[in-house]
Amino acid sequence: MYDASHSDSDVVSREYKISARGVDVFYGDNHAIKEVTADFDDKTVTAFIGPSGCGKSTFLRCINRMNDTIASARVMGEILVDGEDIYDPQVDPVQLRARVGMVFQKPNPFPKSIFDNVAYGPKIHGMARGKAELQDVVESALRRGAIWDEVKDRLDEPGTGLSGGQQQRLCIARAVATEPEILLMDEPCSALDPIATAQIEELIDELRQNYSVVIVTHSMQQAARVSQKTAFFHLGNLVEYDDTGQIFTNPKDPRTESYITGRIG
Amino acid sequence: MPISWLLLTLFGLAALGFWLGQTRALKSANGDRKALHSLPSYYGGTVVIWTILPSLTLLIAWLFIQSPVIEGFVVRSLQSETADGDHASSLMMADVRRMAAGLEIISGAKDLEQNIINYSDEGLKNFQDQLSANGIALGSDLTPEILTAAQTYLKLSDTSSFWMNLVVCVVSILGLAFGVFRSNKDFRARNVVERGIMMTLICAASIAILTTAGILLSLIFNTIEFFQLYRPIDFFFGFEWAPSFSGRGGNSLLGVIPLLWGTFYVSLIALLVAVPIGLFSAIYLSEYASKRVRAFAKPLLEVLAGIPTIVYGLFALLTVGPMLMRAFGDETIGLMSGGNAVITAGLVMGIMLIPFVSSLSDDIINAVPQALREGSYGLGATQSETIRQVILPAALPGIVGAILLAASRAIGETMIVVLGAGAAARLSLNPFDAMTTVTAKIVSQLTGDSDFSSPEVLVAFALGTTLFLLTLALNVLALYIVRRYREHYE
Amino acid sequence: MTNNGMPQDLPIPARSLKSTNAHSRRRLRAEKCFRALGVSAMVTALLFLLLLVMSIVSNGLPAFKRTIMSVDFVLSQEQFEEAEAALLKTGVYSDFFTQSLVETIQALDIPIEVDQGTINRLLGKVGSILREHYRSNTDQLGQAVTFEIPMASRVDRYYKGTLSREGISSNNRFIRASDLDLADTLREAGLIRQTFNWQFLTGVDSSVDNPGGAGIGASVLGSFFMMLVVLVLSLPIGVAASIYLEEFAAKNWLTDFIEVNISNLAAVPSIVFGILGLAVFIQFMHLPQSAPLVGGLVLTLMTLPTIIISTRASLKAVPPSIRDAALAVGASKMQAVFHHVLPLAMPGILTGTIIGLAQALGETAPLLLIGMVGFVARYPDTILAGFEGPNSAIPAQIFNWASRSDAIFAEKAWGGIIILLLFLMSMNIVAVLLRRRFERRW
Repeated sequence: MYDASHSDSDVVSREYKISARGVDVFYGDNHAIKEVTADFDDKTVTAFIGPSGCGKSTFLRCINRMNDTIASARVMGEILVDGEDIYDPQVDPVQLRARVGMVFQKPNPFPKSIFDNVAYGPKIHGMARGKAELQDVVESALRRGAIWDEVKDRLDEPGTGLSGGQQQRLCIARAVATEPEILLMDEPCSALDPIATAQIEELIDELRQNYSVVIVTHSMQQAARVSQKTAFFHLGNLVEYDDTGQIFTNPKDPRTESYITGRIG
Repeated sequence: MPISWLLLTLFGLAALGFWLGQTRALKSANGDRKALHSLPSYYGGTVVIWTILPSLTLLIAWLFIQSPVIEGFVVRSLQSETADGDHASSLMMADVRRMAAGLEIISGAKDLEQNIINYSDEGLKNFQDQLSANGIALGSDLTPEILTAAQTYLKLSDTSSFWMNLVVCVVSILGLAFGVFRSNKDFRARNVVERGIMMTLICAASIAILTTAGILLSLIFNTIEFFQLYRPIDFFFGFEWAPSFSGRGGNSLLGVIPLLWGTFYVSLIALLVAVPIGLFSAIYLSEYASKRVRAFAKPLLEVLAGIPTIVYGLFALLTVGPMLMRAFGDETIGLMSGGNAVITAGLVMGIMLIPFVSSLSDDIINAVPQALREGSYGLGATQSETIRQVILPAALPGIVGAILLAASRAIGETMIVVLGAGAAARLSLNPFDAMTTVTAKIVSQLTGDSDFSSPEVLVAFALGTTLFLLTLALNVLALYIVRRYREHYE
Repeated sequence: MTNNGMPQDLPIPARSLKSTNAHSRRRLRAEKCFRALGVSAMVTALLFLLLLVMSIVSNGLPAFKRTIMSVDFVLSQEQFEEAEAALLKTGVYSDFFTQSLVETIQALDIPIEVDQGTINRLLGKVGSILREHYRSNTDQLGQAVTFEIPMASRVDRYYKGTLSREGISSNNRFIRASDLDLADTLREAGLIRQTFNWQFLTGVDSSVDNPGGAGIGASVLGSFFMMLVVLVLSLPIGVAASIYLEEFAAKNWLTDFIEVNISNLAAVPSIVFGILGLAVFIQFMHLPQSAPLVGGLVLTLMTLPTIIISTRASLKAVPPSIRDAALAVGASKMQAVFHHVLPLAMPGILTGTIIGLAQALGETAPLLLIGMVGFVARYPDTILAGFEGPNSAIPAQIFNWASRSDAIFAEKAWGGIIILLLFLMSMNIVAVLLRRRFERRW
């Protein structure tokens, strides 16, 4: 059941960063995602909205194959990143995840120092030679995560000692430290207070300069504030996908309209 | 009257009291159940409590105190006659007890004064033969003093149990009367019964304290006695363990160091086997294994944990020991001179500890939040990188706690070392040598007919104290670490 | 930690997801190695288990078989009287029997020389078997009676494969290689065969002069009486203590102290409980040594922490709503617990108790200290003697056998382990079934 505006683009085109072709996801017998087909632009913030349990997080987790870690999950169909099917058996999910970073709902810093948290990715991917280079990588990541000024004097302290908003920005810095091309964010502000949320939203807008950002959010205001494109999911279907302005002012599908006006959700 | 009859009497009285209390309460309410404060059975219950509880407490206390008091009396009378040391009297006391048992068995022998009043050597000898025909062997030849003492012992016991029966019955009847007297419709019987039950519950719960106290007291008193016979400094810092078996109080060397070394060495080998295998099994089971493998392998590992230690002991003695002998013995490279060795016991103990380590580590690894795993995978880490660099460091305190618990188990393990490690106390670095441990020596010093006055026997209590304190410290430390760890992730 | 990534790895990321480079290949290799470590640890642990099970089964099963010779034998009235009048009665019986057997064998036309010495080496002690039989069946004197006489332990081991012909030196006074030739011939003739060893299950311990006749029966009974004591004491006390701690105890220092005590007692080495039993029950209270009663008391104290811990878990699993519901209809707290919570928690409590009992059943070390390793040559006469009289227990009997030098006792020890494990297994199966049957999900 697909009725978004991009149904005619069957030809894989390099200008799209991510393309989904008839993606189905099952958790055991539960059909969580049904026949989703969509293309996502580079250097754009795309927001996934929809009621709880509609499959938006599940779909997000397909893009960096995080669903592989759940034993009962099965993914069918194709997802292309830069024109390459990421579910191809030859693709190493580990390498994929280095290029498609992820930020989670609850901030999850490792129980290590702030420095080690950020340095972890670059280390395992062999991105820095020597201590000095690693320090540069960490510093630039922390700067891009807009948290450098707050933590530069206490890099040796545990990351778990930061406040919630700081922890989440640390996790964003940790994600960008591996130089990903795509950044997936699964409700990154749901555990944060309004001030921290504002800081993160500001940060997301800056990140758009360098990355494609896909963000799952519960808050329609947030989607309207940070995204250029919005996709509305309902019961596992991608109901509507369009420019954010279009979705919020002139939705085509009645289900989108009822969600936006608060009748379902 | 044997105790079983006394108990039956008490229960009979209680049943009577139950009926009386119930009836009397109902009568006071003119047969109207609704006018009662509590259900009729609670009135009965109150009387039962009054009948049973005080008398039973008295009975238990009496039984507990009876024999030490009687014995003290007999020992004093013996000492005044023989003017011998404390030591000899405890030996004699054992004979007196056996004698007394014998006197009871041989019918009519209680009135011994009438039978062999002459106390002639021949009469005594005959009597001793009669005793041994009944399966009672005395430690030394029967002397008139012991015979008299045994008779005093018996007489005192009889008197004591007569008074005990009388007093317990009287107390029980008084309690019954008191309970029945109090039964009337306004009496809050349920609250009393519930308070009684509550007291019982509290008593049951405090058995844990009593057990600990019992352990401490039995260790401390005997250890003090040991240190009066043997210098503590020689015990704690002695490098030689050579108890003499002939004669008592001889020149035994009872240094604990070789035993501690053996214990430590065996435990070390056990941990070297158990920790890597257990830990990696746990990692494999919790992080890699599919559901089916887990469902198959986990119960199998638990089977290893449920096997009693005697089985492992036999396994060490009869399977692993000879196997190692074939591999390292005189016929091949000549490292090993006998199947019993530190390596045998250590290896088998390691096998025993594998499931212990793995199930504890499994719990601990599973307690690491899933969010940390996802965070690591989300950055493109492989599974092994995630485990080594995120999960294990996060789980480290818990795993250390688990290893400490395993170490405490290894130190306290008895059967495997008794059967597998050997009996010679030795300070050696060669794992193929036979050595012995604290637990093995506790068993060998305390098995058999032991009198509790020679340093060779009492040393077992000093060893027990050492063992208890060692394991206690490890356990407390480990439990503290594990609890801190759990709180951290809750 | 500095990373030793190779220079040509940079810049990362590689353009295609499918391309590999030295760095990613190395990481893949590390991953495989680590996984292989896990698998091999798992496999090693399971191999140990397999080795253990195999050595138990292969060494223990022979204990359930024994080699017997069935012989027809006639004892005349005169011979009976002569034997009963002699000083060494069983010896005379034995002589009559061997004489008759020698004749029987010679009549079979076997080209091996047979004398009484051979028979004595081949057979176990026959005299007492014959005497017992004829004294209680005097009517069978003068008639042919078929006796099934157990073979000597070395012949027994020869047929079980634990004694090889080569291992017998020529001057061995217990057995000679030629004896075995005779035995083989008699086996072909059907006189010697292997049967199930009931004696092992029902018998009592025996000394070195009749090693083959040793059985585990008496110590099974000892274990049974001990478990009875443990069950009767530890279940009510454990449940009472758990109810107090879980439902009523106020949060104060006493409760904390009790809890600390319980969790520490659960980890105290079992031998320390043996010391406690020795000092308190035997040294101080003068309860009889080697008695299942004392063993039961010691094991009760040892099992209580386990039972309390599992009982508390079962009580905790009953949701608070049940208690609230009972209180709301006017039940007292005590009634709510005894009428509603306890019955609901009972399956869990029983499961925990059975597992605690199984642990106690296999425990050996404390029993050694209270003297339950003595030689037990007869069954208790009365039930009271079953509790008070000296007896052994299955694991202690196994230990006793294991420490004897004759190889036939090693076989007995392994056989005893099979019996012990069968008991443990059935107890655990009952526990699992209980849990399955009554498991409740809230």
